[in-house]
Amino acid sequence: MKRLGQRIWRYAWGYVFVTPWLLLYLAFGLYPLLLSFYLTYFTYSFVRPEDYVFVGIGNWIQGLLDPLFWKSLFNILYNQGIFILLKNGLGLISAVLLFKATYFSRLFRTIYFMPVVVSIVVLMTIGEFVTGPNGPVQTLLVRYGPLDAPVFWKFDRWLPMPVIAIINTWKWFGISTVILLAGLYTIDPQLYEAAAIDGASGWEQFRYITVPQLQPQFFFLLVVDLIFGLQMFAEVFTIGYDVYGGIYNQALTPVLYLYAQAFDRSNIGYASTLGLLLALIIALLTVIQFKFFPREAR
Amino acid sequence: MLPSRRFTWSMVLIYALLIIGGIVVFYPFFYMLMNSVKTGPEILHSPTSLPRQITFSGYQGVFERLNMLLLFRNSLILAVSITLLNTFLSALAAYAVAKIPFPGRDQLFGFMLTTMMIPGVLFLIPTYVMIYRLGWVGQFHALIIPSAVSVYNIFLIRQFMVSIPDEILEAARLDGANELLLFWRVILPLSRPALATVAILNFIGSWNDFLGPLLYLNQPETYTVQLGLYQFKTSIPGENAQEIWAATTLITVPLILVYFFLQDQFMRAFANVTLK
Repeated sequence: MKRLGQRIWRYAWGYVFVTPWLLLYLAFGLYPLLLSFYLTYFTYSFVRPEDYVFVGIGNWIQGLLDPLFWKSLFNILYNQGIFILLKNGLGLISAVLLFKATYFSRLFRTIYFMPVVVSIVVLMTIGEFVTGPNGPVQTLLVRYGPLDAPVFWKFDRWLPMPVIAIINTWKWFGISTVILLAGLYTIDPQLYEAAAIDGASGWEQFRYITVPQLQPQFFFLLVVDLIFGLQMFAEVFTIGYDVYGGIYNQALTPVLYLYAQAFDRSNIGYASTLGLLLALIIALLTVIQFKFFPREAR
Repeated sequence: MLPSRRFTWSMVLIYALLIIGGIVVFYPFFYMLMNSVKTGPEILHSPTSLPRQITFSGYQGVFERLNMLLLFRNSLILAVSITLLNTFLSALAAYAVAKIPFPGRDQLFGFMLTTMMIPGVLFLIPTYVMIYRLGWVGQFHALIIPSAVSVYNIFLIRQFMVSIPDEILEAARLDGANELLLFWRVILPLSRPALATVAILNFIGSWNDFLGPLLYLNQPETYTVQLGLYQFKTSIPGENAQEIWAATTLITVPLILVYFFLQDQFMRAFANVTLK
């Protein structure tokens, strides 16, 4: 025990240096965490303080039976399915092109990464006008055939989620590009030489060497994409939907719904439960990804 | 798959695709810039054509009607204080977990890594309840204090600091430097690349933040640039087209310029990779 005391005294600065983090984490991490569990057992509201009633697991049951919550979950999975495929697919294509290009590779990389620094409010402002009924994309589509007439996609039942996925792809595919490009540089060139000697075509080399060798990068991208993607909020909020995501709830995401319950309906206890429910779903999907990805890729 | 230096048709195809990609990525920026110097009716009726005549009345309107200077001031207060505080306090904790073998350090670091796994959405409502009860809603410190240090940034800096050789520290300690002096004089200068990464993430994150200001800074005098632009855009739909594009440009162009000068650091910060 004396030795431990000596070591504590000797390395006391260590404790001093982690104290700011520890205090702030106790106050703004651990306390809210416990509070969120506590709040799920109550109905609670800022505007109706007398409404403070113990409901047990009532909020959980309400959440599991709430069609709007499931609609929001469906929407976000629909959106993220398209987004993750597009963003990482385009990221892979552009990474391979940049890897093969000998000149100006850096210049193109700079341009492709540029949208990453744009804020969501700016992104959705630009995105809304560029994809809007008289914006450049639809003007082109109408002029050259695919569309008969301009589409007001924001008010459609099924279009908002794919269009937002495309707008988000523009912003984020640069990150995939850069991560996969770094992965390409780590692949042993001898693999390609050996394959070329065996007569493998360019496509076969891509399919059987490049893609499998990039598995660690893909795994990282998928895990991070899903964790952040399922928590989408500002994209649908700033593009001007009401807090229920439009008349068909076509753009309702789980976090938007949570916001609606907390600040429109003033159901703090229920909103807190929805937050926990979403966190559990995210944790579950992350665990599934860890289970189903080949061990050597993690 | 190997880079080749010969002229081939596949090279032509590669550059053609790269150029098309470059145009698609760059066009929205061009669209924003171009519309910011048009007149209002021209933006509404022919948004895709080049401006017939360049006008800066949108930019004028932004300063007169949107109080742009106040928005910039508020955003800078937030972004600068969060960047300084968070980078410093995260580095301080990172130094302790990387280089000071105090009893309980490994357990503490393990606990930090566990807290990183919890999705942020869980904290949204309880943190709001807490800040509301503290009476901080409407004040800048409602956003600054909870962001003053973060585990992810501690982790990033720590990963860099473990590679600093212990001999350097031992030499300084023998010269009689205490740990605080050592941290300030030796560790911080040596950790510059990691600090740049964290500072960039902090600054861009708080400058671009929308949900935080929406929850806690919802009065016109505390609006940030993001919140101000959002309110301006949604208050009268279809109006203010000129001002919207001018404001969008003003908010974005400074970030893009900084990005051009520090692009390697940006890629390291956002993608966690180093490219030559």
